[in-house]
Amino acid sequence: MSDIGVSTIANDFDYADALARCARGEQAALHQLYRQEGARLLGVVMRIVKDRGMAEDIVHDACLNIWQRADSFDPERGSARTWIFSIARHLALNAIRQRDREIRVDINDPGELADDDTYQQSLSTTAEAFDWQTGQQMDECLQQLETERRNCVLHAYVDGLSHAEISAHTGAPLGTVKAWIKRSLLRLRECMS
Amino acid sequence: MTRSNENDDLYALAGEYVLGSLPIAEREAFEARLANDPELQTIVADWEEQFFPYTAIVDPVTPSDYLWPRIERSMHAASKRSARVPRAAPTPRRLVHSLPFWRAATGLGLAAAVTMGVILTNVSTAPTTPEYMVVLLAPQTQSAGWVVQAANRQEIQLIPLGTFEVPEGKALEFWTKADDWQAPVSLGLVEPGQPLRLRLDQLPPLEDNQLFELTLEDDTGSPTGLPTGPIEFIGRAVEI
Repeated sequence: MSDIGVSTIANDFDYADALARCARGEQAALHQLYRQEGARLLGVVMRIVKDRGMAEDIVHDACLNIWQRADSFDPERGSARTWIFSIARHLALNAIRQRDREIRVDINDPGELADDDTYQQSLSTTAEAFDWQTGQQMDECLQQLETERRNCVLHAYVDGLSHAEISAHTGAPLGTVKAWIKRSLLRLRECMS
Repeated sequence: MTRSNENDDLYALAGEYVLGSLPIAEREAFEARLANDPELQTIVADWEEQFFPYTAIVDPVTPSDYLWPRIERSMHAASKRSARVPRAAPTPRRLVHSLPFWRAATGLGLAAAVTMGVILTNVSTAPTTPEYMVVLLAPQTQSAGWVVQAANRQEIQLIPLGTFEVPEGKALEFWTKADDWQAPVSLGLVEPGQPLRLRLDQLPPLEDNQLFELTLEDDTGSPTGLPTGPIEFIGRAVEI
């Protein structure tokens, strides 16, 4: 089983087997998954949507999605645990982006991608926004990014912040944030390959 | 643009999708593309795998005691449905945080569809009986505004049950989405109060539980090719 758990998490739980049992209609399997991951799923979703009621709704929907789509899980494509969290994260992300649209936040900026060199900030004064080291191979690659770029990437992934929100949060111009994220992703890809 | 730049753009776009930083319209367009692109699915899965360990940055939050019983009820209901329907429905994205609405809409829609089915087949002069019915309800008032009926799986009729005031510069756009499609597909603009007959030649055959909705868009239609405005009427196909 290729589940890459974080070192602090007990990994004797067989996620792929639980999904296979869900796909066969064994309701106990979903309950086991929920007992195993419910609190972590709620934590991840809550951090993104920042509303307890909405977060529980999304975890409910995520569990139902997992139950109904378990037969479409493909172990060739990735680990079962990642698949489960991806479903919950994307439901949460869709919900907040939908909410942004409903309250008509203008998240489009008129400007082109600004050159990231035009935004000057002393690297030494930027604090780490996250205690992010997890003992994975990706740590090394993230380590190679400048602190504020790493912060942008993690603010997006962990907090579900949009480009505009990251810009407001970090004080970096919107075009700069977009350019940083794109370039950071390409550097991470290069580093991981 | 060089081939390698295009590749870079694709990897970066997939990465941004996984991070979640794409604006909604780009996000929906990406998901629509992802549905039918195995290569892109692989790129996304790789990014998911690489970022996943960083979910551990977040502290767990203990769910309320009500959450599991709620999930369990929904799971039972879904299991009953899937005994009848080969593939059960994922929760629609657009109303993802209002499941009670969905339960109500599905229940009412079903009841209304059965009633309407009886009425319409009695008065209809058409030789064929509709195979599928959809009652489109207004989300706020739960009142029925339109009926979709299909005598076969390739042709539908949209029938108004009343009139609808469209604001200046706006139009009603008609959409459909089957359970396993990633994004809704536009069926074009609709005149309030006017019936409409449509052939679905470009789409897979109509299926049970397929979603239909009317959203309020600019009078030239949605600029993104995906619903952007509020849902005015919504319902799901019931096989009869």
